[in-house]
Amino acid sequence: MHHMLHIKNGIVIDPKNGVKAEKMDIFVKDGKIVEEGEISKNEAKVIDASNKLVVAGGVDMHAHIAGSKINTGRTMRPEEMRVVRLIANKFRTAVGRVLLTSPAIGYEYAKMGYTSAFEAAQPPIGALHTHEELDSIPMVDKAALPVFGNWHFVLKYVAEKDMEKLKAFIAWAIERTKGFGVKVVNPGGVEAWMYGGNVSSLDDQVPGFNVTPREIITSLVKATEELQLNHSVHLHCNRLGVPGNYETTVESIKLVDGIKNDSRQVLHVTHVQFNAYAGDSWRTVASGAEAIAKTVNAMDNVTIDMGQPIFGHATAMTGDAPFQFTLHRLTGSRWSNKDSEIEGGAGIVPIAYLPKNPVHALQWAIGLELGLLTDSDKVVLTTDYPNGGPFTEYPYIMAMLMSKKMREGELERVSPFVQKASNLPAIDVEKSLEEVIHMTRSLPARVLGLPNKGHLGVGADADIAIYDLNPLEVDTSNDFEKIYKAFKTAVYTIKDGNILVKDGEMVDEYWGKTYWVDARGKADMEAIKDDLNEFFSKYYTVELQNYGVEERWLKKPERIVI
Amino acid sequence: MRLIIIKPKTEFVVTVEAEITPDLAEKNVEEIKRFKVYYGKDRVELGELFEVTKEGDDKKLVLDGDFSRVKWIGCRMSDGEIVVKGNVGANCGAYMAGGKITIEGNADDWLGAEMRDGEIVVKGNAGNLIGCAYYGNATGMSGGKIVIEGNAGNYIGEKMSGGEIEIKGNAGDFIGTEMKGGTIIIHGSCGFVGGDMKAGEIKIGGEFELVPTFVMQEGTWVGDVNVKGEGIVRKL
Repeated sequence: MHHMLHIKNGIVIDPKNGVKAEKMDIFVKDGKIVEEGEISKNEAKVIDASNKLVVAGGVDMHAHIAGSKINTGRTMRPEEMRVVRLIANKFRTAVGRVLLTSPAIGYEYAKMGYTSAFEAAQPPIGALHTHEELDSIPMVDKAALPVFGNWHFVLKYVAEKDMEKLKAFIAWAIERTKGFGVKVVNPGGVEAWMYGGNVSSLDDQVPGFNVTPREIITSLVKATEELQLNHSVHLHCNRLGVPGNYETTVESIKLVDGIKNDSRQVLHVTHVQFNAYAGDSWRTVASGAEAIAKTVNAMDNVTIDMGQPIFGHATAMTGDAPFQFTLHRLTGSRWSNKDSEIEGGAGIVPIAYLPKNPVHALQWAIGLELGLLTDSDKVVLTTDYPNGGPFTEYPYIMAMLMSKKMREGELERVSPFVQKASNLPAIDVEKSLEEVIHMTRSLPARVLGLPNKGHLGVGADADIAIYDLNPLEVDTSNDFEKIYKAFKTAVYTIKDGNILVKDGEMVDEYWGKTYWVDARGKADMEAIKDDLNEFFSKYYTVELQNYGVEERWLKKPERIVI
Repeated sequence: MRLIIIKPKTEFVVTVEAEITPDLAEKNVEEIKRFKVYYGKDRVELGELFEVTKEGDDKKLVLDGDFSRVKWIGCRMSDGEIVVKGNVGANCGAYMAGGKITIEGNADDWLGAEMRDGEIVVKGNAGNLIGCAYYGNATGMSGGKIVIEGNAGNYIGEKMSGGEIEIKGNAGDFIGTEMKGGTIIIHGSCGFVGGDMKAGEIKIGGEFELVPTFVMQEGTWVGDVNVKGEGIVRKL
């Protein structure tokens, strides 16, 4: 470990700080980016980055990397566990085809130059398990987003229009789960699933509660904004995976029209590809990406992420339990259902995206359409790992967004259905390297509300990736193979100033922080005391005092007090 | 006869994983001896565990001795011949795509798992999971032929989609579960047959227990109706 680094002569792209492919030096001291004067040149380790691209470490804001869902997926998919990536030696054994073991997740992110990854759906009652698993993922900083959209407390307070209690409950829940923000999965729909149903619009009544998905979303957004949480509401829309669902997505996005936040969006809509289908059946299905992109572009307070499918193996796992059952019926593939008491549920179904399958090819095209048609300042690059496929293929998406020529080549090998059901073949947009760097670094960091991540300005965490790519020379339209290869394995991955990867090989194991948000000071925590006691004694299988995760149980907790 | 003869040097304390195929015959003896195998968790050379002699250029391996603790013999082989003079360990002929394996003794579990083509003949008995899909995979044996002269264990041809398994003796439970094609012939008796069978044919000479979700049509049973299957089960 070096306590000072001098990264010399690299070509830096740092969108947040307006640095567009400039040759400059970066200085690191005690895990932070510092001014040149702060380091002593003869003590610092010098890294020669001549003709190489220097950027902030990648930030994956939405992946399923820990918790009961992914672990059930591993259990029910022994065939995923036959690929041995690394045999225990200096590092730990890493196993997995697409569904990776915890160490493999950390190692693969690091090799790709990613330094932060967020678990996007933490079942609250499974928080301890989630954190145990997060604490088994080396190399990266991490956090988890507990799910709120079907939690009985939330439904009750929304029905009672009691914002004070809703705020207090969110603050309580995020503290207890050591969570980071408010994830909402198919609001109301998973509660309806408890009775074998689902919701089919924003205005359906949720059984047992006098509320609608519309009210759940708007109340949670309002509460999140009043609490001033780092991250906005992170919404997995209703009607996921249903032809015609793009209209619900557009409607959901418009719910936050007029709500303002100076530092970030007020609503992040996730893995939008799965919610961007036009048509009324799988025969008439078509892309609804353009309408969604237009809506997002016209608003200044909404961001999305792609949820790009990658051809090959994947495992669908979401807190959207009714959708998972539909998928199981559709594909005939194995299915596991999870129930998290009065909080919601989840399901897991293996899937393989085949280029010649018309629907799969369309999904692939829709993901790319969303990435291309949405402003680069509003769309984050994700595969919704492992739902859309492996995060290790992010370089493929980056290259595809930058090269029409590459897309044309890929379009030749996919089902011709794409030609009539999507606009992808007609899209000429080619994102710049800077835009793609923004979509994988500075933008997700801003969306999450992490000011020290995703950029290389003074004071930022020294999470740095160096790639074998000279942005001043590369022709992103034509050199897509070179781009793919360069982003696949970093020349250097530096985390908090520690060199973890050199020339694509891991050189050191490192344990990143787990961020959690403490908003208890922003709400009247006494307000919900009686309700907590009542619900826990009546409905939960655990006692209130045994519920949740203590900070001292985490390996490297980083509490953010707001 | 001209061939490669491989003989165990000792009795193995732990299992050996040796993915040896007739392709070895194309190498010289020194190269064959350097072929890497696993002995427990240790990666060792074939020559450390086995005596190797070569008598010509035929694409044929003769495994002389007890190979019951040696797994993965003939795995992924595509042509040539293997003769095992004694018993053989698990996963023999797995993913096999061609050629022939003759086992003069008994075979362990997972014989011919997910094999695509070629032939396996077992003179003695065979274990469980013959011609099956490995756990989690969608398709078992898809082609070729497996003949067992003696008896076989449980789980025969699970998720099998093509080819033929013939058992001259008796077999255990779960024959042709989730079968999608191909033929299973059992001359003797067996236990449960045909659960979730979608297609293919099972012919049985002796007694057997058919799952209740088959319907009798023109002298044969068709099912499994639970999965809208059109598999056929009939008396041999």
